[in-house]
Amino acid sequence: MPVQGSEGVDGVSGATLQEASGTEHAGSQYEGIAGSRDCLEKAEPMIQISHVSVKYRLAREKPKTLQEYIIRRLKGGRIVYEDFWGLREVTFDVVKGETFGIIGSNGAGKSTLLKVVAGVLTPASGSVVIRGKLAPLIELGAGFDMELTGKENIYLNASILGLSKKETVEIFDKVVTFSELSDFIHSPLKSYSSGMVSRLGFAIAVEVNPGILIIDEVLAVGDERFKRKCEEKITGFKERGVTILLVSHAMDDVERLCDRVLWMDHGSQRMCGDPRTVINEYRKAL
Amino acid sequence: MDIMREAAEIVRYREFLKNLVIRDIKVRYKRSALGVLWVMLNPLFMMLILYMVFSALFKVSTVNYTAYIISGLIIWNFFSQSTTTAVASLTGNSNLIKKIYIPKAIFPLSTVLSAMINFVFSLVPLVIIFYLTGTPIGPRIYLVPIIIILVAMFSFGITLFLSTLTVFFHDTIYIYEVILMAWMWVTPLFYPVSIVPEKFRMILELNPFYYFINVFRGALYMENPLFVQQFLYCFLLSLAMLTMGWLFFNRLREKVVFYL
Repeated sequence: MPVQGSEGVDGVSGATLQEASGTEHAGSQYEGIAGSRDCLEKAEPMIQISHVSVKYRLAREKPKTLQEYIIRRLKGGRIVYEDFWGLREVTFDVVKGETFGIIGSNGAGKSTLLKVVAGVLTPASGSVVIRGKLAPLIELGAGFDMELTGKENIYLNASILGLSKKETVEIFDKVVTFSELSDFIHSPLKSYSSGMVSRLGFAIAVEVNPGILIIDEVLAVGDERFKRKCEEKITGFKERGVTILLVSHAMDDVERLCDRVLWMDHGSQRMCGDPRTVINEYRKAL
Repeated sequence: MDIMREAAEIVRYREFLKNLVIRDIKVRYKRSALGVLWVMLNPLFMMLILYMVFSALFKVSTVNYTAYIISGLIIWNFFSQSTTTAVASLTGNSNLIKKIYIPKAIFPLSTVLSAMINFVFSLVPLVIIFYLTGTPIGPRIYLVPIIIILVAMFSFGITLFLSTLTVFFHDTIYIYEVILMAWMWVTPLFYPVSIVPEKFRMILELNPFYYFINVFRGALYMENPLFVQQFLYCFLLSLAMLTMGWLFFNRLREKVVFYL
């Protein structure tokens, strides 16, 4: 697939987002990056984030309606903008089959980073290279329609994750079984508890059979038994060589499950490497 | 090319597109008593009302006035429905767009497709009226599917523009509804063009939908000496609107998620 270059509206040069298989990656721009950035690989990594920065443009007194905007422009007034960098120069690689953890305090940019990887946000600069199919679990149940039944939502959600009708039919029973919702699968989602909704979302994403699984704070839902099932699934994925990106506040889970950990702080990466080391430093800084 | 890539992505997500359209139709008719029947009855009732009000005024100068009204009505409804429902297609699906990657053009596209399905249903009353009034089908009837596609392209271009604009300016829908109302009046929906005095006819000719409606009626039954020329205009207009809508959408595409 050709490289897409895009210009941000505000003139900042856009990012290159590729879903590639065997695309040439221009040279090594990792030379000279020091110290804590030791999460870079020489071989072709599954996920390649380089110098990714995300900018939020906050406008003071932003005109929310067309009327206001036109009046403002006619009066010749200028709108004052303030740029907030959600991410700054984030650079790391994730190898195939690796479980990569991302930790940090609230507002550090973890979710923003996941959204960049998932293709939801386009960085203002830097590049993102993904080699494989993604199943993001960013806030489970994205795409669930409360008016539709569990069954209808499984089909809807599966289609959002890129599955064909046939593939969805194949995994349907497994999803229902794993989520333990067979009695409720024909009831509308609005009658479900939030735990039930999360279980359904997780069950679907897990059965989608992705090359890359992104888990954002998901392990926090469900009772002990369900949590254990989830962990079994994740361990199963690891054995099958699925690449996993895990964001969590539960340091024990992170330490136990991850091969490497990235610590995000106020939009920049603070440290990256061995889980125990990074987590210890993180705890010290708290 | 960007548009090619987006189109390829939409094809990749065709199952989701199908689900969107199905969901829209289901939600629309789930709670209504008449259900799908309403799509067919609505134009029929509208036509009856318009006929009763205006037939006294215009019947003399229009052959097949009922056929005239209903054909104009259903093609106009296709256009107005697809564009008005599409205005909120991005903002209404913000929960999805903010969390998962989906080719955004799929949302306005689904509203155009839903409107197209409603249009197909509304062809039933049209056929009934034609049969009852004995209106002969024109020789260019085979062009009707192509005309539908051209109207769809034209509408899609507008939906791309409106849905994107709404993300930044929430009052877009109110402004558009007013524009649409005025637009309807400068489209010869329930009045024949012959009624319009010469000096105002130019306004009609500036209205792009003037050509679509004439060509639709022309393909169905009406005699139209300017058919070929107007058909060409339709083709150019749909292409132009689609291009402009796409350019606007594409330019702001990546910015949209920050404002949802």
